[in-house]
Amino acid sequence: MTGGWRAWLRLLAVQGTWNYERMLGVGMGYAAEPLLDDLKTVDPVRHTEAVVRSAEFFNCNPNLAGLALGATVRAEYDGVPGGQIARLRTALCSPLGAMGDQLFWAGLLPLLLGATLIGVVTGARWWAVVGFLALYNLARVATGVWALRTGLDAGMEVGAAIGRSWIQRAIERVGPAAGFSVGVAIPLVAAWYLEDIGWPAAFGALAVAATGVAVTRWFGASLTTVRFTLLALILLVLFRWVLP
Amino acid sequence: MTDLSPASALLLVVWGTIVGLDLVSVPQAMVARPVVAGAVAGWLAGDVEAGLRMGVLFELFALDVLPVGAVRYPDYGPATVAAVALAADSPWQFALGLSAALGLALAVLGGFSLQMVRRANARAIQHRSAALAAGESGAIRRLQYGSLARDAARGAGLTALGVGCAWLLTDPLAHLDRSTALGLTLVALGCGLSAVIGGALRSAGRGPRLRWLGAGALVGLLAAALR
Repeated sequence: MTGGWRAWLRLLAVQGTWNYERMLGVGMGYAAEPLLDDLKTVDPVRHTEAVVRSAEFFNCNPNLAGLALGATVRAEYDGVPGGQIARLRTALCSPLGAMGDQLFWAGLLPLLLGATLIGVVTGARWWAVVGFLALYNLARVATGVWALRTGLDAGMEVGAAIGRSWIQRAIERVGPAAGFSVGVAIPLVAAWYLEDIGWPAAFGALAVAATGVAVTRWFGASLTTVRFTLLALILLVLFRWVLP
Repeated sequence: MTDLSPASALLLVVWGTIVGLDLVSVPQAMVARPVVAGAVAGWLAGDVEAGLRMGVLFELFALDVLPVGAVRYPDYGPATVAAVALAADSPWQFALGLSAALGLALAVLGGFSLQMVRRANARAIQHRSAALAAGESGAIRRLQYGSLARDAARGAGLTALGVGCAWLLTDPLAHLDRSTALGLTLVALGCGLSAVIGGALRSAGRGPRLRWLGAGALVGLLAAALR
């Protein structure tokens, strides 16, 4: 089987055709194309069926999509019945989504962003931004390559391979680290802005922050922070207009 | 944005397009994060300080969002680029509030535009459903490239609109009285802090992560006091 690197590159655009019907499905089909090329010469009928299956509904975290892609392509080459491959694909959606979201969106990303904010406000400036991009992309590239290779090696046994892997341990460690990193960043960022403005005015900003936390938690999804902010800014302008 | 040349404005739109694509479509290298988008936009606009100040502020808002599954969220990337275009070359204490208002309005609009692109992608797939059912690889490729082009157009349009609004708001910003401008900045900062605190508390839940968040906040307070 050839086309591994092309498939990995295409996985970087796996969400390119994101939509509410097939979600990542078409992007997965696009990434599967180079891997399925060899099947065209061996079994053209099977290749056509595999292409159809590859672009059907699928959803998971994009950084772990390689596991599903590799496993289903390997299953196609192994001659596994189509229905079984479709069931594997469906079964992988939720765990790969949940694990990837916890590992990347709720873990690694806030961990590195907290560190980046600390770096920016303590004087590292550009270096902090460059460091964030380098570290994040190193981690996601390594994960992407591992995911595709693991999927291709494991085929229908991909569930067991995921269970034996490092992912669960990493999730357990990265969450608390992210909490710590963001926790350190918040007071430092607040001080970075407010020390230049003067502490009497800063108390006003902190009062707005406390009100914002309380109000948005009280109203939940009906009053997001962005809506609260726009409302507060408009109210301030109106107040200044009425009482110049 | 008093000294922003047409070439710089064009570069900002190009950067906003890249940033808009990066959010979801390709390559998700995180250049769409406000702190990155803002720093580069500040450099392009000739005011890195403004870029970092705006970028960090919008990052506080963006940290409130977990971009999981099909969740709908504001698009802070092009919004940050436009806000930096407005804030550049002005003292940040007076420019941050109005620039944040422009950026947040654009971010909400960006969120809506993302839904429109997703619906357009679904329509394109329905249009080519016969080809997909026949296993035509060419149809998959065309769908993919068409969707990427739609998202690029979305990012470009959003940034161009934002830079245009920034240009229109330059004069009002220059004539805004200092106390109102400072008030807007304080409200924007307070709301940014409420966003990141609210997001951090939600992510932490009631488990060990909450304890680590609290420990981090204590360390951060100590570090801020010692600086």
